[in-house]
Amino acid sequence: MGSIKRLKQFINDSDINRFRTYFQVGAFFLLIYGGYLAIDISSNMPTFACPFVEMRGGTCYLWPLQHQMNMEIRHFLTGRGIGVLTGFLTFLFLLILFNKAWCGFICPLGTVQDWITKLRANIGIRYGTYPEKDFKKINKIKYILLVLLILLPFGIANLGLSHDWATPYCMICPSRTILPLFSADLSQLVIDFSSKTKVFLTGLGMAVTGIFVVGAFAKRRFFCLFCPMSGLQYIFSRLGILRLEKDGSRCTRCGNCYRVCDVGIKEIADDIESRNIVKEDCMMCFKCVSACPEERCLTVKFGGIAIYESTERGFFKRIEKKG
Amino acid sequence: MEIERIKKSTLNHLSMEAGEILKRVEEDFPDNPESMKYFYDLLRKVYCYRERPSDGSITIGTMCLQVPEELIYASGAVPLRLCSGAYSFERIGTGPMPARSCSLVKATVGMLRLVPDFYRDSLKALIIPTTCDQKKKAGEVIREMGINVYFLELPSRKDTEDGRAYWYYSVKKLVDVMGEITGRRLGKKALFNAIRLLNRAREEFRRFYQLRGSVPPPIYGKDAIIVTNAFYFDEIGRWIESLSRLNKELYNRINKKEQVSQRHAPRILLTGSPSIFPNLKIPLLIEETGGVIVADDLCSSTRLLYDPVVIDETASLDILLGAVADRYLRPCTCPFFIDNTDKKRRLLQMVRDFVIEGVVYQAFSGCYLFEMESKSVAKALESEGIPMLYVETDYSPEDTGQLSTRVEAFLESIKQRRRGLHI
Repeated sequence: MGSIKRLKQFINDSDINRFRTYFQVGAFFLLIYGGYLAIDISSNMPTFACPFVEMRGGTCYLWPLQHQMNMEIRHFLTGRGIGVLTGFLTFLFLLILFNKAWCGFICPLGTVQDWITKLRANIGIRYGTYPEKDFKKINKIKYILLVLLILLPFGIANLGLSHDWATPYCMICPSRTILPLFSADLSQLVIDFSSKTKVFLTGLGMAVTGIFVVGAFAKRRFFCLFCPMSGLQYIFSRLGILRLEKDGSRCTRCGNCYRVCDVGIKEIADDIESRNIVKEDCMMCFKCVSACPEERCLTVKFGGIAIYESTERGFFKRIEKKG
Repeated sequence: MEIERIKKSTLNHLSMEAGEILKRVEEDFPDNPESMKYFYDLLRKVYCYRERPSDGSITIGTMCLQVPEELIYASGAVPLRLCSGAYSFERIGTGPMPARSCSLVKATVGMLRLVPDFYRDSLKALIIPTTCDQKKKAGEVIREMGINVYFLELPSRKDTEDGRAYWYYSVKKLVDVMGEITGRRLGKKALFNAIRLLNRAREEFRRFYQLRGSVPPPIYGKDAIIVTNAFYFDEIGRWIESLSRLNKELYNRINKKEQVSQRHAPRILLTGSPSIFPNLKIPLLIEETGGVIVADDLCSSTRLLYDPVVIDETASLDILLGAVADRYLRPCTCPFFIDNTDKKRRLLQMVRDFVIEGVVYQAFSGCYLFEMESKSVAKALESEGIPMLYVETDYSPEDTGQLSTRVEAFLESIKQRRRGLHI
């Protein structure tokens, strides 16, 4: 019992952000170069394991999803429909396992943004934030993208839309242009002039890439607020085994968790009612937990077992190490 | 000449006033921790013998706890909280202030009017956050007395983004003002070091806060008030060291199952208007009558030191300033803010954490903010079955007899309840 207690204390004293940084590097290598080791985790991953990266170690679920939606409606009830279902179930299984930590710990595009953030911070420039009102509007865009990435391919098979609309989201996703660069593949950094639609989509893709780089420099996790994968995850996030819980009675509403939050979730500080505090933009990086000075106010649980808690002792240990 | 005479007699009175309280604090309680001696002696030196440090550093006076002390330290100056608890000074402040204003404001004005160099020689400016009306208007009176007063604008709401933005702006303006006063530009490194310094003090304080609330209690609440009062003017490094020593002693006491007070003394939480030495009237009454104040929510004690500054990115001055600003606004439970739900939540949490049996709410006559707030606090406590004693009082010793009867009855009723519950 004593050793479990000590282990718990050791974990609670630690800085999860440092652990996360290392973990992200590992996950990044696995997903970008995993192919060299013949690793293929899954073709339905709830994270941006981009299919345009040649030697990747897994594939983003949005890729098969968009392909599957390009199917005549009657086929959904046949064997091909079962394919759609198993794909989705695999995605769901992986999501339930790690919940939105796929964003905070694994997503290569998220990791790239965190690296850009580190670069910015090292230069000594401050980050920007959104006014509350704008934030509320912006973070709904991801659902529009999610609906479009399902409806447009569906329109190809059922409404006679041009084939150029296959995988429309991938065409504008910054993962497609940026992640292949890590295997020295510049081939996605082009505008495809073969058709009007392609010019539009790849042109938009290039614009988004530019905005992504500038945005990630100005704001922490800039792109994540727009990410349709994040929206899709959130719909099922409540089923997750990995959870972030808050004990509102212990909260002083000091607002520090909100200030350190890379995606700017205000409820983490102000909501004293909800037990489950994973909000739609949350990426489960748990920076809030390590920034909280109140004993057991915020708790990370896996399958009902507390694996990382905010503690007074841990908080001051981390603060002392800073700088 | 006249003023010199008044000054001399007032300081004599103060010396007696403080001496008497210290005598009660030390001699009425046989089980005071050894390490408290440092704090008793410090107060005796300052209030009875008027020994003042003279290291020549610029002193910035503060009233209220919303003044970001990090900015003062980072500018190479030393903060000095000037809120006074001295009845001897209150009598001097009664001239320039309305008769019905609160004792604390009158005493502070009185001190600044008569002996602005009471704690230190080098008071360069006084920063007053725009909290209650009395402090604001007192600021104007103090300014007329020739002291450089700066009003730090504080929003009436802390829970809105607008309020937060307004406060950031105020804090940034204070940076410029500090620059003008000290002639030093605020640097990132200096601010970072100041944050660490104050966080060290808060870390030590929070250890104390937990130890003090143990069951059974290893220390009296009057000592907790003295420890935090010393923070107002003590050299911070020495204060941290002394508190750390006290904490070790308390830790050992707990291990050896030593306690202060009688067994099963009613566990009291003190809240409301601040208790500042030498005004320990209510705390001493409670503890001399057999209760123990195991926790408090006073802006002169726990609230002053509880919350740390939380830093994330350290590379930009702006981000550090934001972190400092948040610390002084968001968790603050001053009754001047619109909406006091946080205050009630805090109290209820303390009640649970420290097994509180009764709450004493002191309000200085003339402080309508605390007076108004007390009703809703009483109601919140009542819903959890915790009795609250509301006492309106001031710095004068006149109401002591009447109050002691009430406090005694309150403590007795807690014991009765306990018996009732045990049967």
